[in-house]
Amino acid sequence: MGLARYVVLRVVWAAVVSLVIVTATFVLMAAAPNPAIQEAATQAALEGGDPQQAVERERELRGLDEPLHVRYLDFLTSIYTLEWGWSDHRSQPVTEALVEGLYYTAQYSIPWTVLTVLIGPLVGVYSAANMYSWRDHAATAFAFFGYAIPNFFFGIVLLLLFGVWLDWIPVVYRTDVAVFSLENARQLALPVFVLVTGSIGAVMRVSRNESAEFRDATFMKTAKAKGVSPFRAYAYHVMRPTLVPLSTTLVSQLLAIFLGSSLLVEVVFGIPGLGRLTFEALVAQDTNLVLGATFVFTFVAVIGNLLEDIAFSVLDPRISYDDR
Amino acid sequence: MPPERFDRIDWEEHAGSSGFSASINTVAFVLTALSVLALAGYDRLFAAERETVFGALARDVGVGPRFESLGIGADPGALEYLFVITLLLFVWYLLAPLYQNPRMTRYYWDRFTRNRPAVVSLGWLFVVFAGGLLGPLLLSAPQQDVLAGHQPPVYLSIDASNVARCLGETVGGRCHGTWRYPLGTTQAGEGVFRNVVYGMTISMQIAFITTTIVAAIGITFGTVSAYAGGWVDEALMRFVDIVLSFPTLLFFLLILYIYGAGLGMFILVFSLFAWGGTARYVRSKALSIAEEEYVDAARISGASTYRVVRRHVVPNTASSIITQLTLLVPGFLLAEAQLAFLGLGDSGINSWGQLISAGRSDLAFAPWIVLAPGIVLFLTILAFNFLGDALLDALNPKTEAERGR
Repeated sequence: MGLARYVVLRVVWAAVVSLVIVTATFVLMAAAPNPAIQEAATQAALEGGDPQQAVERERELRGLDEPLHVRYLDFLTSIYTLEWGWSDHRSQPVTEALVEGLYYTAQYSIPWTVLTVLIGPLVGVYSAANMYSWRDHAATAFAFFGYAIPNFFFGIVLLLLFGVWLDWIPVVYRTDVAVFSLENARQLALPVFVLVTGSIGAVMRVSRNESAEFRDATFMKTAKAKGVSPFRAYAYHVMRPTLVPLSTTLVSQLLAIFLGSSLLVEVVFGIPGLGRLTFEALVAQDTNLVLGATFVFTFVAVIGNLLEDIAFSVLDPRISYDDR
Repeated sequence: MPPERFDRIDWEEHAGSSGFSASINTVAFVLTALSVLALAGYDRLFAAERETVFGALARDVGVGPRFESLGIGADPGALEYLFVITLLLFVWYLLAPLYQNPRMTRYYWDRFTRNRPAVVSLGWLFVVFAGGLLGPLLLSAPQQDVLAGHQPPVYLSIDASNVARCLGETVGGRCHGTWRYPLGTTQAGEGVFRNVVYGMTISMQIAFITTTIVAAIGITFGTVSAYAGGWVDEALMRFVDIVLSFPTLLFFLLILYIYGAGLGMFILVFSLFAWGGTARYVRSKALSIAEEEYVDAARISGASTYRVVRRHVVPNTASSIITQLTLLVPGFLLAEAQLAFLGLGDSGINSWGQLISAGRSDLAFAPWIVLAPGIVLFLTILAFNFLGDALLDALNPKTEAERGR
């Protein structure tokens, strides 16, 4: 089986996974009472109308009187054609609200992803090259610290320290500053720092431990014997094989942080991004927006996993496609 | 006594594999678990609505208020019974075997103690464990007392204008903390120290119950997948792929949004979506063990597949599973704290996350409300990570060779 066929199969599989998740969501929704209907009944009862009639009207309005399979197909069609409905709480289409949220999420997500991808493996390999030196111990301590400290707690503490006590950075996030401006960099510095600390630990540990194996490999001995400079030897002979196992950790770490912690960090720092949008939609009982946000995160996760697998097979030429 | 020679051994006596033979640990576990279940059933059927189970038991047995004088006055719910059963599992299948094999225990302990941070971590986790187990028996639950709000921790002080009534001394306009509230109080006047201790119980419940569920499902899926092979293997592993792709936190938020959820639901959802990695791990481990010679030897002696799996495969994967589970627990603790912080957690429990979320509005002048549980949470997560790392080193024979180089 060639690479192309493997990639195609993997993409098809990702589509299947997304379908399963969407279906599970549909089942959850279909099995539960819709809050909008109860609201309509309450409303009708308060206004002296017939609650039963109001419920039926609402059900008809939302297409809930149709048989289950029709509703399922409708649901699938609207999901995959990106017709995600109207957000009551934001008074705008769901997709528009999500794009707006993504705009703010991207402003801090791109910097921290880039920083993690650049710094993590470099520090890890550097640690392995200077194993058991004080620099290695410092890097290890930092890695464990970043890995263990809850991001939202770290965010709160830093905000207290630098925002409230030292007054170096603004406490309230401002949306009216330009994206590429000093003010924006200043207000995003802490969220980016918190997320980098959270994600970089695992990346550093894995790249350190993996490259430690290659450090003593015979091909490194050959490279040294040939007189290759240490920098070149590490860059070409250690970094490359390290990237293969690292790609798995890297993607899963980035995804875990993106799906889990960005929501918290946005709430802590008051950034009106995707995470806070989801949170506010949950609090405001805005079903369409909750679903829309869930799907965005789900698709990001599915595509991330897909990229991880493809990157893995591209980076490692020895991989056999029949095993997977 | 002369050394045993194999031709003198009564092989009939040792050939216990034909029937079902339960080890002493299994017998002990079943007996203790059954008594807990009996208590739970008694609680459900006979104890009155507003009566604690031990109160009812004392009344029916006729021992008077003896249980209460021992401090056992709590009224356990389903989660507590489950917690006790997982604790029994832990005692009979992890601690008891360590006691039964002192030679191996000493060997692993020696290797483990070379890693000093890990020993400190184990000590800290023991404190959290003991605090979570004994704390609720020794300390009463934190009580609200509005007049005692915002008391500072002992040895620290706060501007007197921030507290309604200072319980300690007021020196130069600053209110000092007292030993009555060693870590200060929240806005509602609940002792932070008590809250932290009660949070240990919640954290330990999450840790033990989720680990048990994850281990049970993961080991079953992994070994079945490895041993069945063929399309069963393929189907199970594809299913694992799907489970791994589910964004658990978001899915939980969705369930919370539609149905509402407490701590029990949290534990269920998070453990039902967390076993994917364990299953994969067990499968690959089981596949490599199936190639070992001792498995061949067992097979040739006529052992059934069930016996091979039960006696050889599962025990040999156990060490790596324990490591993996140790590294999973921090994720659950973190998720609970995050949800509680967002105000989406179970508001009926005293978890660390609830405390952090309660103290957030007073952060500028009463930072201990956030810092105390936050630091305890950080240390616990850190300890689990160190412990997992050390176990990986101690249980992996490869590291020994590398150290020797």
